[in-house]
Amino acid sequence: MDAFFSALQAILNGLLTGALYALIGMGMALIFGVMRIVNFAHGTFLMLGMYATYFIFVKTGLNPYFGFILASGFLFCLGYLVYRVLLRHMPVQSDFMQILLTLGLALIFTDAIQLTFGADYHQINLPLLAKNVHLGSHISLNAPWLVSFALAVVLGSGMYWFVMHTMIGRAARAIAQNPYASPLVGINVHRVQAVSFGLGVAGAGIAGGLLLPVFYIYPTVGDQFTLKAFVIVVLGGMGSIQGAAVAGLVLGVVENLTSLYWGNEWALAVDFVIFLLVLSLRPSGIFGSQRV
Amino acid sequence: MKRSELVIAAFCFAACLLVPLVVRADYNLQVLFRVFLFAAMGLAWNLVGGYTGQLSLGHAAYFGAGAYAMALLPPLGVPIWLALVMGIVAAVAFAALIGGVSFRLRGPYFVLATIAFAEVLRLVAKNLPNVTGGDVGTQVPSLFTHAISRSFYLAAVVLTAAAFGITVWVSRSKFGYYLMAIREDEDTALSVGVNTARVKLEALFLSAAITALGGALYGSLFLFIVPDQVLSLDISNEIAIVAMLGGAGTVLGPILGAVVLETASEIFKSVFHEAHLLIYGLLLVVVVMFLPEGIVGTVNSWLRRRRAALAAGARPQARRVSTP
Repeated sequence: MDAFFSALQAILNGLLTGALYALIGMGMALIFGVMRIVNFAHGTFLMLGMYATYFIFVKTGLNPYFGFILASGFLFCLGYLVYRVLLRHMPVQSDFMQILLTLGLALIFTDAIQLTFGADYHQINLPLLAKNVHLGSHISLNAPWLVSFALAVVLGSGMYWFVMHTMIGRAARAIAQNPYASPLVGINVHRVQAVSFGLGVAGAGIAGGLLLPVFYIYPTVGDQFTLKAFVIVVLGGMGSIQGAAVAGLVLGVVENLTSLYWGNEWALAVDFVIFLLVLSLRPSGIFGSQRV
Repeated sequence: MKRSELVIAAFCFAACLLVPLVVRADYNLQVLFRVFLFAAMGLAWNLVGGYTGQLSLGHAAYFGAGAYAMALLPPLGVPIWLALVMGIVAAVAFAALIGGVSFRLRGPYFVLATIAFAEVLRLVAKNLPNVTGGDVGTQVPSLFTHAISRSFYLAAVVLTAAAFGITVWVSRSKFGYYLMAIREDEDTALSVGVNTARVKLEALFLSAAITALGGALYGSLFLFIVPDQVLSLDISNEIAIVAMLGGAGTVLGPILGAVVLETASEIFKSVFHEAHLLIYGLLLVVVVMFLPEGIVGTVNSWLRRRRAALAAGARPQARRVSTP
């Protein structure tokens, strides 16, 4: 019975982590899945979201569960600018050039943060952190994770709605389907791409803000999430926003179960093995077909 | 490359072998070692990344294989030179596995798959402390016992010369043309009878073997390796950036890239201290935005444009001479 409850606990914890993975993955699904921009700075943007929220908290005392909204606004602008100033004007538009450019940006932002805030670990203390919600006598869920789960579900749904039902979201998907025909029907390709890129970056920033209360922050904290975000997008199927959401939840559960049975240190390795298996056996992703 | 250029290149490498007569400080020799080490690995990467167009960011797997073979086999009684060879064997075995899976993928998926393989190896090396020493790292015996810095420097020059020779051969051989055909259009190459799967694997084997030797030299000079260093994405990135900066798909590019990048990062470290990664990142952005073909590629296309302009300018001039 204990084994059952510890597995159930791991699965529930996995869903709580997974909701944030879903948010990170949905941002990446928009950038990489729909727009086909290979963004190796995704985790760095998440880290910037964390530091922005942290900065707001330290300066004004604003609770991170509200502060993340300001931080995500800042990251949206940053993403918008990165697309407008750099990505759009690359003389050779190839995957590898995008990788090099975003790697360069990741180095710049990470080092800039290190120069500003130092390489030390920071943490904020919220009273919420010590609270747990008990379900029965065996299961307990950490309160900040529950709050971030709820916010991630709301914001993730919002992002899905935006991509599927607004003009800009439709235009972004139209560009993905046919980059030559979409300007012919009056879509301002670069504006739509810039907004979508900003939105994807903001998604990473929001996840960063929501992770702040439960994480130590340090300049390279985001690096682990970059590759995870790619894993989530490929797992969910390229171009599928809802696939990425489901894949994020799955990855969270898989990681927590791996930690339970094999140890925490194998969780990331299992992520990559799943990633390689999906790429080689079912390149269209586990959920649904390749749509764009 | 013409025969005369090859003779010049041979003289340059001979001159590099004489450098230790002038440069004696260990630090300087180690910086030069790093330049040549990355020149050799950049040339190795160039075989798959430049000529074949398969942009790998997983070369740390081969680098780490070479370094870990050097570290783990000699304590078991394997002679150190045999450990060097076993490192190559291990790297080629990894290349067979990595290539077998990832060569079926294209574009960003190929890049991501190569990263994922190297990352799995890094995590396995970290999580098996009984075998690899785990996170803490493990000692590596030294390949040379006396005049250490000089010997390693000379070994790196020889490795670079060998990689250079292979690259020159590839750039003029039928094998090389197969590789370039794959880069330009894989489906067409396949349709005219190039066994693309096999040719790509052979190029990767060559590349992995040279990179493994690089890893073995690196580990053996510093006497101690940890997974987060020799199997890290940073190593893969650096190898690829060296080649891209100098000019992918050119014979001289990776060497020039290594000279520029390694001396630049050495200078950045001493001048900018903590900000050196920021400057390094800026350098990357500048390369992508202004030198996408790399240094050699940009110079080549500038020369080509200039020659075309001269040829176009020559004709009207001739007419002008004939009118009065």
